[in-house]
Amino acid sequence: MNRRSFLTGLSGIAAAATLRPRLLWAAQPQLPFRLTDVTASAGLRFRHYSGAFGGKFLPEALGSGCAFLDYDADGWQDILLVNGTDWPGHDSGRPTLQLYRNNRNGTFSDVTHAAGLDAPGIYGMGVAVGDYNNDGFPDILITCVGQNRLFRNTGKGTFVDATKSSGLANRQAFSTSALWFDYDRDGRLDLFVCNYVKWSPEHDVFCSLDGKHKSYCTPEAYRGQTCWLFHNRGDGTFEDVTATSGIFDSSSKSLGVALLDYDQDGWPDLIVANDTQPNKLYRNNRNGTFKEVAVDAGVAFSTDGKARAGMGVDTADFTNSGAQGIAITNFDNEMLGLYRPSGKGAYDDVAIAAGVGAPTKSMLGFGCVFADFDLDGSLDLAIANGHIDDTVRNIRGNVGYAQPPQLFLNQGKGMFRDATSEAGPDFSQPKVGRGLAYADFDRDGDVDLLRTTNNGPAYLFRNDQRSNGQGANQSIRLRLVGTQSNRDAIGAVVRLESGGITQSRLVKSGCSYLSQSELPLTFGMGKKDQADRIVVQWPNGRTEEFRNVKAGKSYECTEGKGIVLQSGR
Amino acid sequence: MPRPVQPQRSPTAALLLGLILTLAAVVAYSSYIIWQIKGLRQLQSDLAGRNRKDSLQLLRVQNDLNSLALAMRDMLDADEPYPLSAWATQFQRIRADLDDALRREEQVALVERSPEQREFLRSSLAQFWDAADRTFALAQNGKQDEARAEIRVSLQARQAALSTAVARLLVQNNEYEEQVAARTAGIYDRVQRQVYVFLAATLTVIVLTSLYLIHSNRRLFAQLAALSEQRSDLAQKLIATQESTLRYISRELHDEFGQVLTAVGSMLGRAEKHTPADSPLRADLREVREIAQNTLNTVRSLSQALHPVMLDEAGLEATLDWYLPTVERQTGIAVSYEKSGDAFPLSGATAVHVYRIVQEALNNVTRHSGSKQAWVRMRFLPHSLDVEIEDHGAGFAPSQVRQGIGLVAMRERAQLVNGSIEFLHPANRGTLVRLRVPKEAPELNG
Repeated sequence: MNRRSFLTGLSGIAAAATLRPRLLWAAQPQLPFRLTDVTASAGLRFRHYSGAFGGKFLPEALGSGCAFLDYDADGWQDILLVNGTDWPGHDSGRPTLQLYRNNRNGTFSDVTHAAGLDAPGIYGMGVAVGDYNNDGFPDILITCVGQNRLFRNTGKGTFVDATKSSGLANRQAFSTSALWFDYDRDGRLDLFVCNYVKWSPEHDVFCSLDGKHKSYCTPEAYRGQTCWLFHNRGDGTFEDVTATSGIFDSSSKSLGVALLDYDQDGWPDLIVANDTQPNKLYRNNRNGTFKEVAVDAGVAFSTDGKARAGMGVDTADFTNSGAQGIAITNFDNEMLGLYRPSGKGAYDDVAIAAGVGAPTKSMLGFGCVFADFDLDGSLDLAIANGHIDDTVRNIRGNVGYAQPPQLFLNQGKGMFRDATSEAGPDFSQPKVGRGLAYADFDRDGDVDLLRTTNNGPAYLFRNDQRSNGQGANQSIRLRLVGTQSNRDAIGAVVRLESGGITQSRLVKSGCSYLSQSELPLTFGMGKKDQADRIVVQWPNGRTEEFRNVKAGKSYECTEGKGIVLQSGR
Repeated sequence: MPRPVQPQRSPTAALLLGLILTLAAVVAYSSYIIWQIKGLRQLQSDLAGRNRKDSLQLLRVQNDLNSLALAMRDMLDADEPYPLSAWATQFQRIRADLDDALRREEQVALVERSPEQREFLRSSLAQFWDAADRTFALAQNGKQDEARAEIRVSLQARQAALSTAVARLLVQNNEYEEQVAARTAGIYDRVQRQVYVFLAATLTVIVLTSLYLIHSNRRLFAQLAALSEQRSDLAQKLIATQESTLRYISRELHDEFGQVLTAVGSMLGRAEKHTPADSPLRADLREVREIAQNTLNTVRSLSQALHPVMLDEAGLEATLDWYLPTVERQTGIAVSYEKSGDAFPLSGATAVHVYRIVQEALNNVTRHSGSKQAWVRMRFLPHSLDVEIEDHGAGFAPSQVRQGIGLVAMRERAQLVNGSIEFLHPANRGTLVRLRVPKEAPELNG
């Protein structure tokens, strides 16, 4: 053996030693993407503050939400994180919500103070983002324990508190999720707000597991409270139409709400997730009123007729059938509700058959979003999990307080696969998850994830597509701008045809749990170079069609003005 | 002396009767069980199931009534910024669900409702919704206080009355369910009792039939043993008679005909001597004398064949020494004869039976084996005489053994000398007949 062959042999052994872990990793089915925790490198230093001081107040265990929004309209998604605050008589600081501006280089800057959002004394729960005054800049509704806050975007990087001027003041409630939508299709965004139970620090109920120490109460201890519907008058003010629209229901204990077109009539409907009460499905009667049809549609109860503890909710065409299905997260031991449209206005709960029932049985789910993480053209499902009781491990050994999130990849034909552990070690860490939202914050064409935790940090996971030798999967991203319809085009349906498959997406605010994802739409294209046809059905019913749209690009589509390539990508 | 066998009645009829009784019991019991199961199924699915569904609908009604009560409480609390008319939609939803629940309940209800009950429920509901409509009408007209008063005075009381009525129906359902449970338990008890009765009856029939079967078997075996004894006795008598007859004929042939023919031959010889030498008569006389001499030889041979006198006079060994070459000569079969051991004397009867067995075995070789060679071995052992006759011919099948009378006679003869006989198949095919005669063979009639 000469010297060269000896050295070659040594290097071969060394290479094999370093390669071995990779080969072992490669033995696992490799996902075409990876979720990497970039919270620290992105500069997110938010930590949720529940105000807990030992009083075990009900709202402490439920917050809080998060949102992706482009508040400065620069085409890059910014982040808003909702926060709690001190309870009366327990002042310890001045925690506020936080707004992070996207620096367009993978990092964010805290602009809360500069944006005028560092208002103290707000016990925030959720957030809904929408351009209610159609000025091109998104406005923010913060749902609160107490008085909700509406922050109007001035367009100059700042917000003003428009709660009072908009007519939303003087309403005390335990509000949770909210969304903007144009229920009467008048071109202005209206507001739907979920309320949980009639709770206030003054009317807190003593609940206990051992008869001595106070614990968090279940919702049965409190009376329900109706959700609210506010009609946008168009002059910056809102009219409470809860009672006249048929939304009023004093028995509801609502935590989540999502937009959908249940009967595919072009008029927006609503699905509301209720805790220990039947879920509600409000069908738009097209005359400013709604009819509640959840029982008839089969989404009010579980398959065994039980009203479950609904938390978060999202809707999407996860079967690429053109009709939207529904996912509702529930308490542990109740599993996720995955409702697939079966035709004739009814849904089937297919959670077990679809492969998401058993894995979610021991989880307490909150935020949930449908998004195409692997860009294969089928919508996947991500869930934020975490218990509300920090002593649950003592009572039920197989259920933890901190729980890993879950990522279910859509395998087609209505089947999902739990790919949580394959998405990367950062992602599968157990946390006390609550809010969940997605956006393409780095504008690389795929959707990234933002997750909040109760009394803990928020986590930003960057989605990195892998190349498998034939290149990474591509997408088409589309931002809709309404002119006659509401400017955010919330309620618009886009159908993209490619290779014989038609994907459809609904532009929607709210959804998930206390959170909101970005408004631009992402269509996974796999390895396809272009979409054969894109049909946009605007909220006012008008449709536009575009052909041969190239993949791997981001577009902006303005109502009546066609589609243009978005700058920067 | 064997016991005479009395003809007995066949047990088949009794056994058939037992079988029929058992089958009848099984069929009867199965029918009974099927009938009871049918009743149970009807009770459980038709009655208990429907009753459960009915109770579920009543619970749904009660839940709706509770929802109405909670809504009325919220309306009276007045802590919502909405007029009372806001609850109208909620009331309509509950009313729709209530109507649906009551309609379904009526479809599945099993419990007899009295006309008063029906009328009370119907009128109470009608009055409640009438009062609710009045309340919301007042609220629509801005008369909130009057509407609230209507709730307090009328609606809440009617709701409470309805709730009580529905609770009463649930109690009735519960009582009915208990009755069904009691009936079900009664059926189970009856079935259990019947199982015990059936088991006892079946066991009794089986035990009686078995006892009868055992008794019949014992009787049949006894009859069979007696018959076998009789048959053996008859065979021995037959053989004894045969041997006696053959010995008598043999002696007659030897003594009477032999002496006559000998005398005839002497007389013919004397006559021949007195006849001139050239006389043709002399030739005729010589020819007749030779015929007589041949006849005498034939008679003597026949006599020897029927019962060799040698057996009585010289014993078995000498007889076989004479007989086996005779067989060779007559049949053309080469017979190898071996003799070993210290010879001991056999009684006359034993010698005859052994000789007859050898004779029959060699006859079988001649007639059935197709073999041109046979082996005869006689071994005088300390306690027995073993005689073997072997050929390497065609052998014989068990069915032939059953049909052959000669083989039966050989067995009987072996039994008569307290010996044993085996019919074996040697390795080189053919047949091996092995006879074992005990040394102290008793003297038997022969």
